[in-house]
Amino acid sequence: MNSPFARLEKFCLALFIVAAGLCASHASAQGLDPAALLKPATDTWPTYNGDYSGRRFSTLDQINAGNVSLLSLAWVFRTPTHTLKSTPLEVNGILYFSSPDNVWAVDARYGHQIWHYHRASEGDHIGNRGLAMYEDSLFFTTPDAHLICLNAKDGTMRWDVALADDKLGYFATMAPLVVKDHVIAGVSGDVTDIPGFLVSIDPKTGAVQWRWYTQPKPGEPGSETWPKDTDAILHGGGMTWMTGTYDPELNLLYWGTGNPNPVLAGEGRPGDNLYTCTIVALNPDTGKLVWYFQPSPHDVHDWDAVQTPVLFGAEFKGKPRKLLGQASRNGFYFLLDRTNGEHLVTAAFIDQTWSSGIDAKGRPIAKPEATPSPDGALVEPGSDGSTNWMAPSFDPQTNLFYVNARRLFSIYYNTVETKAEGWGGRDRNLWANSTVRALDYRTGKVIWNHELGDGESIAGILTTAGHLLFTADNSGNLLALDPATGNTLWHLNIGARLVASPMTYQLDGRQYLLMPVQDTLYAFALPEKAASSAKNPH
Amino acid sequence: MLWLRNHASFFRGLATSIGAVLTLGVLSVSSARSQQTESSPAPVQRGQKLFGQACAFCHGADATGARGPDLVRSPLVAHDLKGELIGEVIRNGRPDKGMPAMPTTDDQVSDIAAYLHARAKEALESSGVPNTYPVEKLLTGSAEKGKAFFEGAGGCKNCHSPTGDLAGVSRKYPPIELQAHMLYPDSQPVMATVSLPSGEQIKGVVSHFDDFVVSIRISDKTGWYRSFLRKDVKLELKDPLAEHRELLHKLTSADMHNLFAYINSLK
Repeated sequence: MNSPFARLEKFCLALFIVAAGLCASHASAQGLDPAALLKPATDTWPTYNGDYSGRRFSTLDQINAGNVSLLSLAWVFRTPTHTLKSTPLEVNGILYFSSPDNVWAVDARYGHQIWHYHRASEGDHIGNRGLAMYEDSLFFTTPDAHLICLNAKDGTMRWDVALADDKLGYFATMAPLVVKDHVIAGVSGDVTDIPGFLVSIDPKTGAVQWRWYTQPKPGEPGSETWPKDTDAILHGGGMTWMTGTYDPELNLLYWGTGNPNPVLAGEGRPGDNLYTCTIVALNPDTGKLVWYFQPSPHDVHDWDAVQTPVLFGAEFKGKPRKLLGQASRNGFYFLLDRTNGEHLVTAAFIDQTWSSGIDAKGRPIAKPEATPSPDGALVEPGSDGSTNWMAPSFDPQTNLFYVNARRLFSIYYNTVETKAEGWGGRDRNLWANSTVRALDYRTGKVIWNHELGDGESIAGILTTAGHLLFTADNSGNLLALDPATGNTLWHLNIGARLVASPMTYQLDGRQYLLMPVQDTLYAFALPEKAASSAKNPH
Repeated sequence: MLWLRNHASFFRGLATSIGAVLTLGVLSVSSARSQQTESSPAPVQRGQKLFGQACAFCHGADATGARGPDLVRSPLVAHDLKGELIGEVIRNGRPDKGMPAMPTTDDQVSDIAAYLHARAKEALESSGVPNTYPVEKLLTGSAEKGKAFFEGAGGCKNCHSPTGDLAGVSRKYPPIELQAHMLYPDSQPVMATVSLPSGEQIKGVVSHFDDFVVSIRISDKTGWYRSFLRKDVKLELKDPLAEHRELLHKLTSADMHNLFAYINSLK
């Protein structure tokens, strides 16, 4: 009964509880309680999009339309030779951001490096969008399609799991998303005909909780959208490139999926090719599909539907609705009821030449002559899309949905002579220019347009309660626009193009605006005197 | 499928059996990177011949599958370096799937592996349209109709002449480049006229242009650089490619291919 072993056992258990208690209290002091993700405080930016909604709207208003002209540089952090495409997290005064193979922890007030983690890898180094945090653990994905867990305190590795086999062409770029006790991660691929999936990982152990493939298994619902008796459905692509969004009330996870493979040669995969180029709603606890909507059925232009599914509650036809808006790479804005996937609106948000109309389900209908062909098909947009991975924004103060859009013409070639494998062709860009557009969320109608110049912009958008919209043009200028009109309120020639998305946070009564520009992180703030007397003029 | 890093070798063992891989829920896929460094043509050609004789009946003449699986997308091929995995399958067969064992020499295995890796590499490189792309594929239109479009509805002759700037144009570019240049030529200097508040006008070639600043090379003997705040001046731009951009919106597929047939005939 009270043997020495039993006493030892009790002692050990007590020690464990004390240790666990210490861990927990430490985590809450320095780390991030997953419950805090439900309503992030203004002194944090705890997920890729700042919160679960993907609106990229901050309630901060110290920097506002009345004083933005005073904006000045607070500090600069350089990561020589690493292009930053990530949106930093900011938790308890520390920024965490990444580039492929690299993670930095930097003092959010003063810009000093706290630690740097590096892990060399093979695989596609196209970019890394950022991290996720759970208690005192950080998570990021790698070019060889691993998910790494780091101790946020010192950047040491806790575990490293392979999400997929990089030898088969998998890589990863996305910032994972923590939902309750799940780290949700996706994978990327490009030229090889491999299936995409989302995977849920236990934040503590790295164990797989569920995996959802973007193609159904042969015989399952959706498999009828692929040819029978071929291997097409097993090689259908549909990568989960970007971070999704989450509605805690409905307990639904929203994710956009990538284009089908072979990319431009669709003749071997007749049908809609579900669930590629699709917005899906999944149960985050089980990975089960709840509903879906497909912006680009049977895509043959590389127009993935991975753009942020933005969540907002607003009126639609006189009734308050839980809405989901996406400005998709194919040039169309889609508005859905996110409780059940009911289609509400489809509207082109920029010029396009590929679609002849909208079908009964709300999906654009492709013109046959827009299909890539051996002699070349001239199509707008090109494969880089009418928009791409850069962050859109929804501003509840203006009720406008903002997207960075492009006019882009390209010639698409199908070069396949036998069975299509990989891309099966390519498009050749002819000309592009870019614009920020404000859309009426109810109709997709363009309310204002702000030209960004020639070329393809990949600058993300941030809106704030200070009646400001931050983005950048194609000439090296950072911009603050009036979100109601698109007029410029502030600009700065930073000398390079923004290829990431801005973010903001407030610490010790001072609001910081962060712009990762190429290899440099710029922190802007008001001069201290102006900050302390700042009033929002609206 | 997820495995810890130190289980990678475990996976490699599994990958030698397609059956085992399928039980893990992973679908057969092609090689991300050709595991071989540049395959010299001779082994690839020898391998193709051997493959045609021994393997094509089941795996297809181009290895994309027939009765047997597509080997271009095979995980085993993706993991193979120099025939060590491929050779094992050839020599032992897959009796459970009806594939017989085939006695082969090391050289033969190495050649077949070289061929399969070359095929996987072709799939990886399928996202490029080479400059050697055959003109026959592009010539689906009528040169006669193209000429009519050039001289009529297209408005091309307003700026171009088949005996002037376009004389011999089809010899200047590979056909695939010619098609792109026909639709949208390389960028041309944009001319600016800047009117100062004083009424003075300065003309030049734009070197920078955004919402805030315009900079030009002045069109005079000096050719000096000058920049102006957009808000302080009036600006008139003449972009010679503006008509091409308008045309992109109007061109039908038939117009484009007819016009190409005509432009391609300007030898």
